[in-house]
Amino acid sequence: MTARPAFTALLVLALAVAIAFLLLPIVAIFSQVGLRGLVDGLRSDVARDAFRVTLKTNVFSMALILGVGTPAAYFLATRRFPGHALVVTILELPLVLPPAVAGIGLLAAFGRMGLLGGELETLGISVGFTQAAVVMAITFVASPFYVRQAIAAFEAVDATMLDASRTLGAGPARTFWRVALPLAGRGLGAGAVLAFARGLGEFGATIMFAGSLQGVTQTVSLAIYQEFDVNLDTALAISAVLVVASGGLLLAVKVLPLWTGSRSTSPSLFARSAST
Amino acid sequence: MRRLVVVVGALLVVGLPHLAQARPAASPRLTILAASSLTEVFPRIDRRAAYSFAGSNQLALQLEQGAPADLFASASPTFTQRLYRKRLVEKPRTFASNALVLAVPQSNPAGLGSVFDLRGRNVKLVIGTAAVPIGAYTRKVLQKLGLTDVLSKVVSEEPDVKSIVGKLALGEADAGFVYRTDVRAAGGRLKAIRIPARGQPEVRYEIAVVRSSRHGAAARGWIRTLTRTARARLLLRRAGFIVK
Repeated sequence: MTARPAFTALLVLALAVAIAFLLLPIVAIFSQVGLRGLVDGLRSDVARDAFRVTLKTNVFSMALILGVGTPAAYFLATRRFPGHALVVTILELPLVLPPAVAGIGLLAAFGRMGLLGGELETLGISVGFTQAAVVMAITFVASPFYVRQAIAAFEAVDATMLDASRTLGAGPARTFWRVALPLAGRGLGAGAVLAFARGLGEFGATIMFAGSLQGVTQTVSLAIYQEFDVNLDTALAISAVLVVASGGLLLAVKVLPLWTGSRSTSPSLFARSAST
Repeated sequence: MRRLVVVVGALLVVGLPHLAQARPAASPRLTILAASSLTEVFPRIDRRAAYSFAGSNQLALQLEQGAPADLFASASPTFTQRLYRKRLVEKPRTFASNALVLAVPQSNPAGLGSVFDLRGRNVKLVIGTAAVPIGAYTRKVLQKLGLTDVLSKVVSEEPDVKSIVGKLALGEADAGFVYRTDVRAAGGRLKAIRIPARGQPEVRYEIAVVRSSRHGAAARGWIRTLTRTARARLLLRRAGFIVK
């Protein structure tokens, strides 16, 4: 009888230690910056430019990730072929790759002296030190967060729905648009939010591949790194905003399914998509 | 499962204190925080010490935040003197000087022949941030030579001099301001373009014993070795530093 409360106490203790360890640095950011520091820090040109660059490059990256990642994930979720696991592994690789490796790899591939550097040069394209390089770095690092989730979401779609759509006369493309995509929507949304959150914080690959220049390639993470020994208040203020933004995104992933939860039951959705 | 728990627990109990310890207590191996530009030469002078190389400004900040170290070598007196005023280090000593050059990749893609060529052409220039010594010196050079308008050619501001060297060695940028010792250290990958003497700032390296060091005597001995022994002075000179 005494063992059970003791065990529960142990679990609670472990949880408390974990929470304290993870929460303390975040609380420290807010306690160090203060409201005035926050306002002044965010008013600085460095911070404003950094947020502008970050938002712009991340929007482009997300468009690329969603546009290419969604059909690719649908293909992998609905078809089995030899080497399937290998292909998925390649798509997931950036998840476990150190960002510095991603940076050096992008340089080795697309840099001026890189694999494709000569070809790009003759086309008059030079990506190094441009926002295109930032977009590429973010896309490389953040895409698996979306693709992985998208494959899982499409796999969870009841295959009989797709079959029914086909037998009712819809072509494969129409089936994808009208049945698979709406049914997988929640999962895709969650994946997109996670990829976006990861992209916001991208640092390693960006500084190696794109460099750091205020207003051009300096994203928020790079600005924090540059400002921390110049103007700590600015660095703290940007960090505080990132904490709120990232936390909000993560919470959105958890809460969003609850709001739309009732729609997930397949019969009603099937009825709706059949009636349209 | 139970065995796994025991193993993980034992690892934590044994391992954590070990990880938290900056250096093993038995051997007085010195921890030296040194400017990036000393990356090649310091380990040649003393292979045993533990080094942390970064921008002098970052190292100064780390020391102000209480980083454990025995010695601090800065590429500019600004940071050693700042810590000295804050009583974090003992009196700093000058041990070498350096000079700036305009470095280009060996292939010299922009075809630069002098610093003044930066003006006319479409050049991708990489410099240090204003906070790191190399970046501050670079801005002085440009001011002295009346070339501040070339700052508009800057495509990236790097946190330390070795990051500039990296971007140049990869051929990603066309030119960058670094120390002449960096070009030597990069082997054949970079070429140096001289900066006229009237444009040269005074680049002085200082070293100081960290007051919180537990090996103060050994650290002071290290500075003596660096500044007085013929071997250390020869190694510094060979790397391209100016030693009086």
